[in-house]
Amino acid sequence: MRVVDLAHGRSGDKGDICNVGLVAYDDAGYQILLREVTEQRVAEHYGDLVTGTVTRYELPGIRSLNFVLTGALDGGGTMSLRSDHLGKVMYAWLLRMEIGDGAIADD
Amino acid sequence: MSGKTVRLGAGMAFWGDRVQPAAEMIERADIDYLCCDHLAELTMSILAKQRAKNPEAGYTRDLIDLLRGALPVAVRKGVKIISNAGGANPRAAGERVLELCKELGLSGVRVAVVTGDDIEGDIDRLMDDGVSFTNLDTGAELVTVRERLTHAAVYTGSEGIVEALRLGADVVICGRVTDIALYLGPLIHEFGWASDDWQRLGMATVVAHAIECGGQATGGLYAADWQGVDGLEDLGYPIAEVREDGTAVLTKTPGTGGRVDIGTVSEQLVYEILDPGNYLTADVTADFTQVRLEEVGPDRVLITGGTGKPRPDTLKVNMGYRAGFVGEIVFTYSWPDAPAKARRGIEFLKNRLAAADFRCSAEIVEYLGHTSMFQGRVPPPTDPELPEVVVRYAARCPDAEQARKVFTESVPLYNNGPAGVAGVGTRPPLKELYAIWSCLIPREHVSQSVELLEV
Repeated sequence: MRVVDLAHGRSGDKGDICNVGLVAYDDAGYQILLREVTEQRVAEHYGDLVTGTVTRYELPGIRSLNFVLTGALDGGGTMSLRSDHLGKVMYAWLLRMEIGDGAIADD
Repeated sequence: MSGKTVRLGAGMAFWGDRVQPAAEMIERADIDYLCCDHLAELTMSILAKQRAKNPEAGYTRDLIDLLRGALPVAVRKGVKIISNAGGANPRAAGERVLELCKELGLSGVRVAVVTGDDIEGDIDRLMDDGVSFTNLDTGAELVTVRERLTHAAVYTGSEGIVEALRLGADVVICGRVTDIALYLGPLIHEFGWASDDWQRLGMATVVAHAIECGGQATGGLYAADWQGVDGLEDLGYPIAEVREDGTAVLTKTPGTGGRVDIGTVSEQLVYEILDPGNYLTADVTADFTQVRLEEVGPDRVLITGGTGKPRPDTLKVNMGYRAGFVGEIVFTYSWPDAPAKARRGIEFLKNRLAAADFRCSAEIVEYLGHTSMFQGRVPPPTDPELPEVVVRYAARCPDAEQARKVFTESVPLYNNGPAGVAGVGTRPPLKELYAIWSCLIPREHVSQSVELLEV
């Protein structure tokens, strides 16, 4: 199972910080996200794309998690050399992460 | 729930956004206020550069395009328009709006200009007064980039907008007020909320955040059921019907494309936030953590559960400074062996650059269609049967001369490099880099001013 089976998402920039929001499709999915999509797993999944820290926040009323990734945009939207300089598609990489049985930490 | 409702429409999400939804919304949706956000981090640097060349410039000119369509209807229906399109030159924007009113034959339109966010000319005095402007991200001191600063704008709050509305303004033009202030201003004016009513201000901040990015709340960029969103080409922009307690029903312009439901609104709520329990703005520290959404009708979502805490004692300052240039080139190799040729092409370019004493502080190679989104997490292409491989090289350079070398040293790929290449020959425009210097200023050093202009 991958995160995309349980959630959708959106991401964006604040300077060199990228935030990735995940929205679960239902309560059961949210519970699995809470258990499986940990800060450590997310940091491993992004690897070198994120040079700083990963912090997770919870928004239970809308079954959502917010991940704050520092040092994630090659210096920030105005400086980044990346095609995705504003981190608009960073959420998609998290949706690809394998979770549950058979999950490989490093994808 | 009965009682007064204030209807706020989101007319604009950034400089360059569509301008049609604003007029459409005023015409069809009976809103009270149209709130338009034209600014982003980089926008202020661009506007400051334009102002430096021409004292009449420095605001986002799409304000005029938007008002040309929206203002006649707004005047007829009594809809007030609040905008931060003033950017680096709100006064010039206000004067231009007055001219537009004359062009359109509109009289009696009161245009307020809100200033006070631009502290560029006060930096030295403020530093003498003990403001450090230490970089929030790096801890560096401002003196290291002082000579290269292009602008310094404080993210200011809603006070100026509230005052402008109290004075009877029909159009309010601001500089760098927060996106949230564009929405809180009219609500505070209408409901008379106290400046320390953190509960209502926090709730209303959540509402504002939900709609401030325009079409992103009504089906634009929707990651879940994207194929199920009809009418993206004619996307309606969001409207909040805000109640006295700050809660709201979110909807959109009738008869437009897109949709408003729990999914589309949820995605927007988690967009560009950091700690949802401490969402810092100039007006309030909002708390999103207990927000709830309920579908109460077609394209109607009730939003509740937001709250707030005292506003920060400091305001965020966004400064821009010149930080060199980008040298960039994109070229394409064809089958056979396209991936290997692309790698050799990049090697060729790097070797040529090295021989030309090229200097850069960072460089990147992206195989477009393979590694440009998730650099380092997916492998570059290897399949020799691929019909084509597009490769992009970019470098951050200290000056324009270095950046130009990226183009000049790639041109020989046209007849010296591997066969089957396309796209090298067009000289791309050089892109100047503006770095952002984020810092804080105690709020007592900043005050907004309101000036009323009238046709």
